Amino acid sequence: MSAKAAIVEARGVGKVYPMPAGPVEALRDVSLTVEAGDYVAISGPSGCGKSTLLHLLGCVDTPTAGSLLFEGRPVRAMGEEERSRIRLRRIGFVFQRFYLLPMLTAWENVELVQSEAGMPAAERRARTRELLEYVGLGQRVGHLPSQLSGGEMQRVAIARALANRPGLVLADEPTGELDDETGEQIGDLFDRVNADGTTLVIVTHNLALAARARRRLAMRSGRLAASPAMARP
Amino acid sequence: MSPLHFAGRSLSRQPARALLGVIGVAVVGALLFDMLMLSRGLIVSFRDLLESTGFDVRVTATEALPGMGPAVAEAAATTEELSRLPELAMVVPVRFGAATVAARGGRTHEVAIIGSQTRRRGEWRLLEGADLADGAAGGRPDMVVNRTLAREQGLASGSIVRLASTLPGREFRVSGIVEFPFEATGEWMAGVTLRGFTHAFPTARRDEADLLLVASRPEAGPDAAVVAIRRARPDLHAFSIDEVLERLRHAEFSYFRQVSFVLATIASFFTLLLVTTLLTVSVNQRLGEVAALRALGFSRRRITLDLLAESALLVGGGGIAAVPLGLLLARGLDSILRQMPDLPSRLHFFVLEPRDLALHLAFLVLAALIAAAYPAILAARLPIAATLRRESIS
Repeated sequence: MSAKAAIVEARGVGKVYPMPAGPVEALRDVSLTVEAGDYVAISGPSGCGKSTLLHLLGCVDTPTAGSLLFEGRPVRAMGEEERSRIRLRRIGFVFQRFYLLPMLTAWENVELVQSEAGMPAAERRARTRELLEYVGLGQRVGHLPSQLSGGEMQRVAIARALANRPGLVLADEPTGELDDETGEQIGDLFDRVNADGTTLVIVTHNLALAARARRRLAMRSGRLAASPAMARP
Repeated sequence: MSPLHFAGRSLSRQPARALLGVIGVAVVGALLFDMLMLSRGLIVSFRDLLESTGFDVRVTATEALPGMGPAVAEAAATTEELSRLPELAMVVPVRFGAATVAARGGRTHEVAIIGSQTRRRGEWRLLEGADLADGAAGGRPDMVVNRTLAREQGLASGSIVRLASTLPGREFRVSGIVEFPFEATGEWMAGVTLRGFTHAFPTARRDEADLLLVASRPEAGPDAAVVAIRRARPDLHAFSIDEVLERLRHAEFSYFRQVSFVLATIASFFTLLLVTTLLTVSVNQRLGEVAALRALGFSRRRITLDLLAESALLVGGGGIAAVPLGLLLARGLDSILRQMPDLPSRLHFFVLEPRDLALHLAFLVLAALIAAAYPAILAARLPIAATLRRESIS
């Protein structure tokens, strides 16, 4: 048993999407606890439900079955606005396609989410500088995404995910658009982020990246193939 | 970063599209602005003309327009009777006639002649020379002529005008050159005293008036003056300026109101269609980005505000440019419409009032809100997880 606090806890969670051709069961009876400081990698074939699980863990969506607790509070009982607030302040997202705003500089992309969270300007400036230096882009702060490489864009996206000091960072195929060497560099950065105390859950096809995690989970047909306990190193 | 700042940066991603949008709103907005000016322009301009005479009540024998129906009989006694009403400050009888003068090439040309008393208020504006005097030095009563007549006949103060419509031709001495409020472009016009009018039209009935111009006492006002006249002389028809304008609004000028309403409605529709299309296309092109922002914790409210701000920038930018563009367009259209025959040269179809600017502003705000409604709903209700999954697959 771990003495660490659970950040997110799924118990028998299921997700069914209503479709014109009939309901599609994307997740079935998934149980998973992510504790503070965890470094979790979830792998599996396309369409097995990895991203759906990530979206549930990140309060982007709500389960249709089972219970999901975020920092001890049931997600299904939360309204849309409350889940937005939690995502803004307690969760960081890293996407496969980066989704940096193309008209904003690296600095502005990182500062934007802090501004939305109501962080004072002076604190924002200090935090943005600190984060861009942390991801190795201290010299590229004024560059637009179009002036950055894929790896650099993903670094900015990681800085953005960390901007509001979240308890949990979720990454969906973060190396999916990068070559192996750049993927390795991003993996190194994730290692450092986790070593510095941030909880990480990464969904990936990249076996090398998954191998860096301390817990490796496999998914198949909407189920976790190995129990969380077995997957612990 | 405020929604307005964010919206500005968003629009800057596609500067050509944003510029085209602003230009489109400016052009359609200019048309709308012109229609606002046209809807009341004639009425406002006509009121200015009526008020410039210094008389606020008109009295005629029938409901027909002055000069178009029977004249007021026993004009001197009627003038005297009305002048005694305490609500009235002044009553001036006016006669209208048309004579001819010899023109170049052996032809004759019509001259509209107004017979009145010596100038009391703003019956005309003296430009050169002296005003009418009541005498008839050398058997030639005084005459004031407008600039067109003076120019075409080479007249100046002291010149003699000989009417060709009477036998023998009656002569007048030009005392000055004036501008009449209701003179039409190119119209030859002259003013004489009532004695001079009889001199010009010896066969016309004496002691008649086509119109009585009445000035109310300031403490009574035109409405009280009209009531007093109707009470004293129920056989006459008295109209305040407001009543004259109301009648014109529902009759002669209603055509322009209807045209302006139809064109303003079409312009509004196109503005909404243009901005809604631009914003909807813009949102559809960045669904993944919107979903990502929502996943990052941006609220529906914030996303809605961003789109409202984008709409406000497009409509606001175009709307501001629409004002000078509309004024320029109005000037051109006004000069075309004023070429219609027999219109007073000082009458304008497009008149700018503060009310037009206020209505234009109100329309812009409303247009920005309505145009942003559909794309804002689209963006705010976007299913985040499904959109991210779809974008990822695509």
